[in-house]
Amino acid sequence: MNKFQLRASTLAVFVILLVAALSLNAHVGSPDVYYEGDAGSYHLFVTVRQPQVIPGVAEIQIRCAKNEVRAIQIVPMRLSGAGSSYPPTPDLAEQSKEDPQFFTGSLWLMESGALQVRVSVEGTKGKGELSVPVPAAAQKTLKMERPLWGMLALLMIFLALGIVFIAGAAVREGNLGPGETPAPGRARRARVVMVIAAVVVAGILYLGRAWWIAEANNYQRNVNIFKPPAAETNLENGNRLVIRAKGQDAQWSKYVKMEEVIPDHGHLMHLFMIGAPGLDRMWHLHPGRIAGGAFGEELPSMPAGQYQIFADIVDKDGFPWTLVGNVEVAQVEGKSLAGDDSAWSGSAVAAQGGDSTVSQLADGGHMVWRRATDPLKASVPMSFKFSVEDKDGNPAKDMEPYMGMAGHAEFVSTDMSVFAHVHPAGSVSMAALELARTGQTGASGELQAGMPMPIPMSMPMSSAPLPPEVSFPYGFPRPGQYRIFVQIKRAGHIQTGVFDARVQ
Amino acid sequence: MADTIPLGQPLQARFSEQTSASVTSVPWTIWCVFAGIVSSVVGGLWDISWHMSIGRDTFWTPAHILIQLNGVLVGIACGYMILTTTFGGDAAQHDASVKIWGFRGPLGAFIATWGCVAMLTSAPFDNWWHNAYGLDVKIVSPPHTLLSLGSFAIKVGALALMAGLMNRAQPEVRRRVTWLYVFVGAVCVTQLGLILTVPTWPVNMHTARCYLAVALAIPAVLMGPAWGLAKRWACTLVAGTYTVILLAFQWILPLIPAEPKLGPVYHNIKHLIPLRFPLLLIVPAVILDLLWNRTEQWGRWKLAAVSGPAFVLSFLAVQWPFANFLMSPGARNWFFGMAYFAYFDPAGLLYDPYEFQIAEKTRGEFWITLIAALVVSVLTARLGLSWGDWMRRMRR
Repeated sequence: MNKFQLRASTLAVFVILLVAALSLNAHVGSPDVYYEGDAGSYHLFVTVRQPQVIPGVAEIQIRCAKNEVRAIQIVPMRLSGAGSSYPPTPDLAEQSKEDPQFFTGSLWLMESGALQVRVSVEGTKGKGELSVPVPAAAQKTLKMERPLWGMLALLMIFLALGIVFIAGAAVREGNLGPGETPAPGRARRARVVMVIAAVVVAGILYLGRAWWIAEANNYQRNVNIFKPPAAETNLENGNRLVIRAKGQDAQWSKYVKMEEVIPDHGHLMHLFMIGAPGLDRMWHLHPGRIAGGAFGEELPSMPAGQYQIFADIVDKDGFPWTLVGNVEVAQVEGKSLAGDDSAWSGSAVAAQGGDSTVSQLADGGHMVWRRATDPLKASVPMSFKFSVEDKDGNPAKDMEPYMGMAGHAEFVSTDMSVFAHVHPAGSVSMAALELARTGQTGASGELQAGMPMPIPMSMPMSSAPLPPEVSFPYGFPRPGQYRIFVQIKRAGHIQTGVFDARVQ
Repeated sequence: MADTIPLGQPLQARFSEQTSASVTSVPWTIWCVFAGIVSSVVGGLWDISWHMSIGRDTFWTPAHILIQLNGVLVGIACGYMILTTTFGGDAAQHDASVKIWGFRGPLGAFIATWGCVAMLTSAPFDNWWHNAYGLDVKIVSPPHTLLSLGSFAIKVGALALMAGLMNRAQPEVRRRVTWLYVFVGAVCVTQLGLILTVPTWPVNMHTARCYLAVALAIPAVLMGPAWGLAKRWACTLVAGTYTVILLAFQWILPLIPAEPKLGPVYHNIKHLIPLRFPLLLIVPAVILDLLWNRTEQWGRWKLAAVSGPAFVLSFLAVQWPFANFLMSPGARNWFFGMAYFAYFDPAGLLYDPYEFQIAEKTRGEFWITLIAALVVSVLTARLGLSWGDWMRRMRR
């Protein structure tokens, strides 16, 4: 049974169930979705700001590259499978009066899970459409503010006392004839009934409180299920890293099977090992699936130290998960890097933080972050543009696709609470993007490890070198100090540019 | 009054009672309360259909306005009754009132006002609940329960108001109020029936839990108003009105165009979807009326011990085979509505909506649950009879 299926026989009225299963926010601590792509002839930058609770309202922001769009419609749907065939009535995004290239809208996300926002565009070049995968998940539970708590408490006291006194009046006077005066016996009986009513009301309030607590705990479990699963690590023989996923809730493993994860741009798992603290080393590896749903990787040579682990996988329904853990490694004399594996080492993030816009590459070239001089601000959608120069300062002419794309960027906060693996198409999973296109679940085996990516990734498919620039749509989720690892491939060699960013 | 069951002394006394509080016309306040309750049942059933067909709503949807109107109309009428009785100089009104916290008014007005306050309280509570846990993740939540409790209290208050009025009124007025009373009783049954929607969904009609759920909720709200009416065929009238209300919505709602505004959408809906075909409560209601015609002098516990099981067993006898029909192709039409599905219901895609569910794992569990339903029905029938007796004696 599909993990998102409801026990449908119990559906009635408008029972809107939180889906029993689940998936999690893409990345870690970075729930909003940033996507850049083409809807027909129109180039769009779409931002989906996820609601805190599900069902809840997501805010959609769309920026058009040119002033040629007349109207944009947005609609949420399942990413794949049942429920992805019939769209509900779409909403019209509102065009800004001051900036006609900017559109905003709100959409109800009614369930957690792998959803998509379908964007339909109409403009001077006809119609176009694109889909943005959205891993919808509840993020937290709100606390009740004191004024509201006080008001509700007063009303509850009023109601509780009210029913007790109504019960007393009913017994004392309810069936007396008009004008009759209650006898002393009635008054006594009324007092007894009031005491009984008070006990019953107290019992109901107690049970109500217990029910509320149970509901809150149940909801918290759903929040926990969506939290990043733990990457339980084991270092065999000192150099073979074995990773097992463990959800924050015991139910997690019922719904996400490691045996069923699907390839995302050619690999089942993208493992990032980042030196901690300092972020002065980074490995981007691709462990393979081994028995028992675990993943294993023969480590390359690396110095002893503590490493933070972020491991990206995509479940069969197109939901991206990031496993989070750490491992302490003794000096490893391991294999050489091969294939798509890559590494970087350099200076640690300065204790006082800071910004940097130029990074030296291993072959003597440079990568330059083309950014405005304004301070970086949290929650602002941006296009992070990087240009690559050869050692002579000329634009690089030997850029190649790296895992099917012009580049990969990892945005990591220095406290490791934020991690986002972003591509030129944005923060969405490439596997989810493919599912949005085909509507097929990954369980079909359509995508296999090692297969080339079947979708265009904002890059030409000819054998000509790629442009010496690469950009990534993203927004820092909160203020703090970040390090950005930008990985590209030149003349068969994977190179990593590293930039620091202080975000207000 | 040939069709009135002879009753105990308090009720008999009511008919000979000609006091200063005797009522010669139906007060506007009663009509106002009645209009509020009509508004609530229309708004409630429309709102459910809205959520099944369209999904997205605002505070200002027509259905929501009707539901809010219920509170407004009842609040105005009951507030007027309490304030004029407390501060006005009408001796008859004063004599037919109860006193609570220094205020005077009909008991039913106080109960209905309590219901209005409960509904009012549920609004900010529910709003916070949505912000904290998501929009209507479950229909049965603490704020929704408070709302439902308030709404039910309004109906209980209305029945008490009408019962008090009937017990003091001239025959002509009594006859007119009787029909209002029957309608409100039917709305009580409808409300409890809605709460039982999940356990009594057609796929669950071959489980013992379905009949346990019905035994828990329905006997009290069917027998209470009916017994309180003290009229032959009262149960049939109440259950018949319940059936007519649901059938009317079953057949009218699909005539109104609608399409989903939330996803995921499993069914390409083009009109409002009704809830479902009514439960066949009319049959046990007829059985109860026949029974009560012969057992009117019985003690209440003895009467409950017979009425409860008679209700459950007769309901089981008709609903069980009727469920077979509902699951058959013959019921998939506008009349029985078994081809209607909410837009969010993956019926036919992820599960078979025409396959009975099994709730009890063993035959023993099934029979134990069914016996529990019979035992529970005795208690809920007794509760209903007590409520009915209370209303028979209601004077204020």
